[in-house]
Amino acid sequence: MIIRELLLIIWVSLKTSGLAALVASLLAVPFALFLAGNEFRGRRLVLILNQTWMAAPTVVIGLFFYFLLGRSGPLGRLGLLYTQTAMTIGQIVLILPLITGFSYTALRQVDRRARLTALTLGATRRQAGWVVLLEAKFALLVAILAGFARAVSEVGIAMMLGGNIRNFTRNITTAIALESSKGEFANGVVLGVILLAFTFGINVLVVTSLRSRD
Amino acid sequence: MAEKEAYRLEDVRYVYPGPPSVPAVDIGTLRIASGEILALAGPNGAGKTTLLMILACLFRPTGGRLVIFGEDPWADDARTAAARREAVLVTHHPYLFKGTVFDNVAFGLKVRRTPETRWPALVSQALGLVELAGWERRPASTLSAGQAQRVALARALVLKPRVLLLDEPTANVEAGLALRIEAVVREACHGAGATVVFSSHDFSQATRLAGEIVYLSAGRRVPFSHENCFSGEAASDGRLSWIEPRPGARIVFPGTFAGHVTCVVDPANIRISSTPDGAAAGRPNTFRGLVTRLETTEPGRALVRVGGELTFRVTVPLSEIEARGISLSRTVLIEFDPAAVELVGVRAAGETS
Repeated sequence: MIIRELLLIIWVSLKTSGLAALVASLLAVPFALFLAGNEFRGRRLVLILNQTWMAAPTVVIGLFFYFLLGRSGPLGRLGLLYTQTAMTIGQIVLILPLITGFSYTALRQVDRRARLTALTLGATRRQAGWVVLLEAKFALLVAILAGFARAVSEVGIAMMLGGNIRNFTRNITTAIALESSKGEFANGVVLGVILLAFTFGINVLVVTSLRSRD
Repeated sequence: MAEKEAYRLEDVRYVYPGPPSVPAVDIGTLRIASGEILALAGPNGAGKTTLLMILACLFRPTGGRLVIFGEDPWADDARTAAARREAVLVTHHPYLFKGTVFDNVAFGLKVRRTPETRWPALVSQALGLVELAGWERRPASTLSAGQAQRVALARALVLKPRVLLLDEPTANVEAGLALRIEAVVREACHGAGATVVFSSHDFSQATRLAGEIVYLSAGRRVPFSHENCFSGEAASDGRLSWIEPRPGARIVFPGTFAGHVTCVVDPANIRISSTPDGAAAGRPNTFRGLVTRLETTEPGRALVRVGGELTFRVTVPLSEIEARGISLSRTVLIEFDPAAVELVGVRAAGETS
């Protein structure tokens, strides 16, 4: 394997899954904040459905979007199937419940008094929401990193929606699958190690940068 | 009008969500003048904290009407936010945000968009008031409960709010500092013109600091006068309990209680008659005494003070004064039902605070 191609494979993994983690966080964290801060009928049901969704196999999500984005599918005209965008979309859907669930737990751990204290000191509701998020920032970060880890390590969606196209949608996991099926187990192992090394690096980077600022 | 009156509560009720649906606060009418210091007294669970949460606009009343400086704080979001900026609550167990003491005290300045250049001087001044000068850089997580309470007070004082709401402001601090905090509260009121509402189960503190004391029991305002307030160690026979404020003078009330009990008897619930002999023996809450004062305080009613083993204040319709033969220096018999005794404070034996 040529180095340039290897770097591209790593880049595709980081880009699609990083983007998925970012977009999913922007959706899931505010939703978790809403769930944690409001008592309403059906909240428990939402949480149970969320937990259920977490168990959805990647290939099921892949299959769903395959039909949705495929040529003859409802969104076929967008021409998104077998693109990095399609991979990102699938991964967003995959990790949304994961980040929602972890963030919800993190935000419920924040003392109820934090929000009330912020409000009585004159914070607007938005500012009080920020206070709660900041009080839980480490736990939220863990939730987001878990989401990223899930996205970067999955193979079903990347394979079905990305199509493992060389120099375009091939990422680390689909490359491992390909190398293994070719019998190139050594390459597979090397790619696996690279995947873990990158995930490790990102975790160290994010956690330390936040800690030093505290 | 709006300037004279900080709060007006009309039939304000608050029921916590979920069973039991008994109101935690059912206050009736309460007016708090601007610039006044008002104390909330009453036993644990009387609704003091809930009422403070309502006054801080953190709890929305589930019934009745609340007016702050002439405005309805719940009319819209903007008015809720505005009212919350006028009235700042310091809770009994304050929550300190992660970060330093400075971050905490500057929080309100930050959300009010006070220019950042002014923060250090304001924060340092506020910390000085609570005798924590120079503590800015300490991490909030390393403070003791008493220190945390003082930081929380500084965090409110720095905003110079029009209303300062304090839940048990000196509960966690040692005696010397409690006096210091009382002085700070007095200064905030008399110096800066703030309205102060604080809860306390320390009667002497309440009387020392406050211009008015509101007694709460089971969420309701209960009448209180010094003459009809008694306390002592409770004893019980399983059905009724009693205290003996003076040896032999026994005040009986229903229920089983132990520990130090403080109770009041509404002057309107005491019967008075001028038949001092016989009759009374054996009935609970029957006392003999001398009429030491007789005056009219409200239209149509007379206030009678009866001195004896215990001193009582009784109100009687004016028309009945003559009919019952009540006059100064006469010996009278007074009597009230055990159920008319309202407990305003129960402290378990061994509890020191």
